[in-house]
Amino acid sequence: MKRFIKKIYFICLAFILIYGTAVKAQPPTAMEKQVKAVFLFNFTQFTEWPANAFSSPEAPLVIGILGDDPFGKYIDEVIAGEKANNHPLVVKRYSSEEDIKNCHVLFINISESNKQKQVLSGLKNEGILTISDQSTFLKQGGMIRFFTKDNKIQFQINPDAVKSDNLIISSKLLRLASIYKSDKK
Amino acid sequence: MLLNYLTQHPFKRFLFQPHFLWLWSVLFLIVCSGPVIAQTQDSVLSPVALKKLSLEDLMNIEVTSVSKRPEKLNEVSSAIQVITGEDIKRSGVKTLPEALKLVANIQIGQVNSTQWAISSRGFNNVLANKLLVLVDGRTVYTPMYAGVFWDVQNVMLEDVDRIEVISGPGGTLWGANAVNGVINIITKNSADTQGLFVEAAYGNTMPGMGSLRYGGKINDKISYRAYATGFHMGSTFTMDTTGSSIGNVDSNKYVSAKDEWGLGQGGVRFDWDASEKDKVMFQANGYYGDMHLNPKGDTAVLNVSGENALVRWNRSFLEGKGDFQLQVYFDHTWRDYGNDFTEDVKTYDVDWQNRYQMGSRHTLTYGLGYRLMDHRMQSTPNFGFFPLNKTLNLYNAFAQYEIMPVKDKLRFTVGSKIEHNTYTGFQYQPNVRLTWMITKQQTVWAAASRAVRNPARIDRDFGIYANIFGNPRFPLFAGTDTFRSETVMAYEAGWRFNVSKKLSVSVSGFYNVYDHLRSVQPGPAATFGFPLLIENGVKGESYGTEVAFNSQLTEWLSLRGGYTFFWKHLWVKQGHQDANNATVESNDPGHQALLQATFDLPFHFQFCTVARYVDSLTTPQLKPYCGLDARLAWKFKKILELSVTGQSLLYDHNTEFIADSPIRRMQRGVYGKIIFYLN
Repeated sequence: MKRFIKKIYFICLAFILIYGTAVKAQPPTAMEKQVKAVFLFNFTQFTEWPANAFSSPEAPLVIGILGDDPFGKYIDEVIAGEKANNHPLVVKRYSSEEDIKNCHVLFINISESNKQKQVLSGLKNEGILTISDQSTFLKQGGMIRFFTKDNKIQFQINPDAVKSDNLIISSKLLRLASIYKSDKK
Repeated sequence: MLLNYLTQHPFKRFLFQPHFLWLWSVLFLIVCSGPVIAQTQDSVLSPVALKKLSLEDLMNIEVTSVSKRPEKLNEVSSAIQVITGEDIKRSGVKTLPEALKLVANIQIGQVNSTQWAISSRGFNNVLANKLLVLVDGRTVYTPMYAGVFWDVQNVMLEDVDRIEVISGPGGTLWGANAVNGVINIITKNSADTQGLFVEAAYGNTMPGMGSLRYGGKINDKISYRAYATGFHMGSTFTMDTTGSSIGNVDSNKYVSAKDEWGLGQGGVRFDWDASEKDKVMFQANGYYGDMHLNPKGDTAVLNVSGENALVRWNRSFLEGKGDFQLQVYFDHTWRDYGNDFTEDVKTYDVDWQNRYQMGSRHTLTYGLGYRLMDHRMQSTPNFGFFPLNKTLNLYNAFAQYEIMPVKDKLRFTVGSKIEHNTYTGFQYQPNVRLTWMITKQQTVWAAASRAVRNPARIDRDFGIYANIFGNPRFPLFAGTDTFRSETVMAYEAGWRFNVSKKLSVSVSGFYNVYDHLRSVQPGPAATFGFPLLIENGVKGESYGTEVAFNSQLTEWLSLRGGYTFFWKHLWVKQGHQDANNATVESNDPGHQALLQATFDLPFHFQFCTVARYVDSLTTPQLKPYCGLDARLAWKFKKILELSVTGQSLLYDHNTEFIADSPIRRMQRGVYGKIIFYLN
């Protein structure tokens, strides 16, 4: 009996070995950071900046990352050779908010709430589409927040913040987002 | 020279035993899978492929993140090992205690179909009393012996989010009984268990198991689930000695020990996202079970039942300034041993905790708690607990302060719990902890803590009396009113390293000094060594190492496991004697190792194999053994899952832990399971 079980076990292992190396048919999954990087790219396609946000019609559209960069090389791969309304896409990584210049989309990755608030108030009316993962982000005046639901990346938009910076987010994007309403009137 | 050593060393013989062939095959498999890694990258959607998706499709992609759960502070700087619901499910374990076999820093052995010996950092036996166990925040020990009746700790394994095992004292945060470790069993939020779930299983060691669960939403903010589950575990085996004299036993002849175990349980859970800051959870569970404990299976049937309800409110303060938690629960358990021996416990517990972030470098955590345990026994006049009923009060207050002298680099934690219990009054359980975050991937920590094991009723109120020596109530064996809390001083250090996105490793080491451990003091020779009295006459020390690793080797193969080394020395203190010579309270393996390999195969097949090595035990003696389980499953969309699991594959009958006579043996088990999901 013992020997028999052992035999079966090894046959199973051998089977798996051959099987596993021969074919691969995985359900599609992706890394969180990859999906978010692609969302950042998509946001550039569905947002309109005021004309004065760019020095020329061919000036680059800058995607900035403030704080630790969660995307790594993926974001560079995603935007390589891409354009938004004729503006070539460029990624810039900022170590502090003083470095931010000519930026159009900014992913803010600051876990400390006070600092995030300070950064956001400094960016007001700069025409920058601000994005983050932090739960307090929209409350503090941020524009788009990622969240995960059932292992899927979803996003929430704060339309008031977008509007007050004279940005226009396409209805296509708004329709898919959950809408944040600030509770103070 | 070295070769000579290796070929002659018993370890070599051990490694090349047939038992270990599986290890080599798994290793071989891993080596072979190396070249495949490059190909498998394609199965993950590349950024370019993702870019082609519509926004809707993008929002439907399931993501995997390296660390989804925010790491709690105590996790970084303690010897914690975590198993996820997925690890449990893939392994094919049948019950909650079995699931704990998947944790490398736990000493665990099944005794019979209902009883388990489970501990961490040693002192394992059926009445192990130095481990604190919480199920969704509810403490589940019995004040009878300060241990856990594992047979009634049941959860639907499908609903387990994770099990965290912290080895080492947790007295400051969790309070008494967290002497050697804390097990946190955490079930999923009901928002994550939506829809209908039905499972049924059948096998030789489990002649019937089924569960039904439904999860729904009342509105946007309130989700719920309701479940019912039941199982019937088969009997263990004993060697048949009837009709043959000892020494002439046919070792292949086993008979049923007639200790079948059946348990039914049901419950509900509600999760309410009351506001952005507030979350409320309510759950209630009830169970009923019966077991045949008598080897003959005729009399002495054990009946159990219990109900519990818990509500917890969590609030996070604005802008990350901290959070607060208030939890209240009620727990009732009842056990009837069928021989005029019953236990009825009602526990009422309220616990409040507040964490306050002061600037970016200082954090203060504090809390208060109160627990009332109404413990009622029935026993025969000369064997049992006297007084029969006792109300136990436990008050506690704790504070812990954290400071980061160098921000995000160095953290110093100091705190203490002050507890007042009915038996021994005030107890202090302080700890200091230093954590150095060398890089984002590497943390080194060290800690010193004191923890206590408060007296249980068995230490104080238990007694066996007889009408002898001219005394109508002469104590043969009895607890004493002077029994004090057992203490430990623990010194620990550890290292955590996320080597890469594919591999994380943690190592910890400890040195513990115990005092006032339980002993059994024999009486004078004139009365033949009676009475035997429970005292605090044993002292001891232990040290050990725990290694754990987790690796997502490729998209389709993940490995996890660990190794634990444990050594202890216990001795009887001067002026004391111990009838068991300080050997009876613990029976721990010196070495144990674990490997779980989980494969995602093509065509929706899944395979998982778990191997455990457990070194020999000494009192009573038991040979080393290897546990080997394997599970093969096939999934059809998200609707159907079929699986076959084999357990304890290497032995026809195996003994994991000996608690009493006759010795029980667990049969090799094979069972099949079918699962339906409907959303």
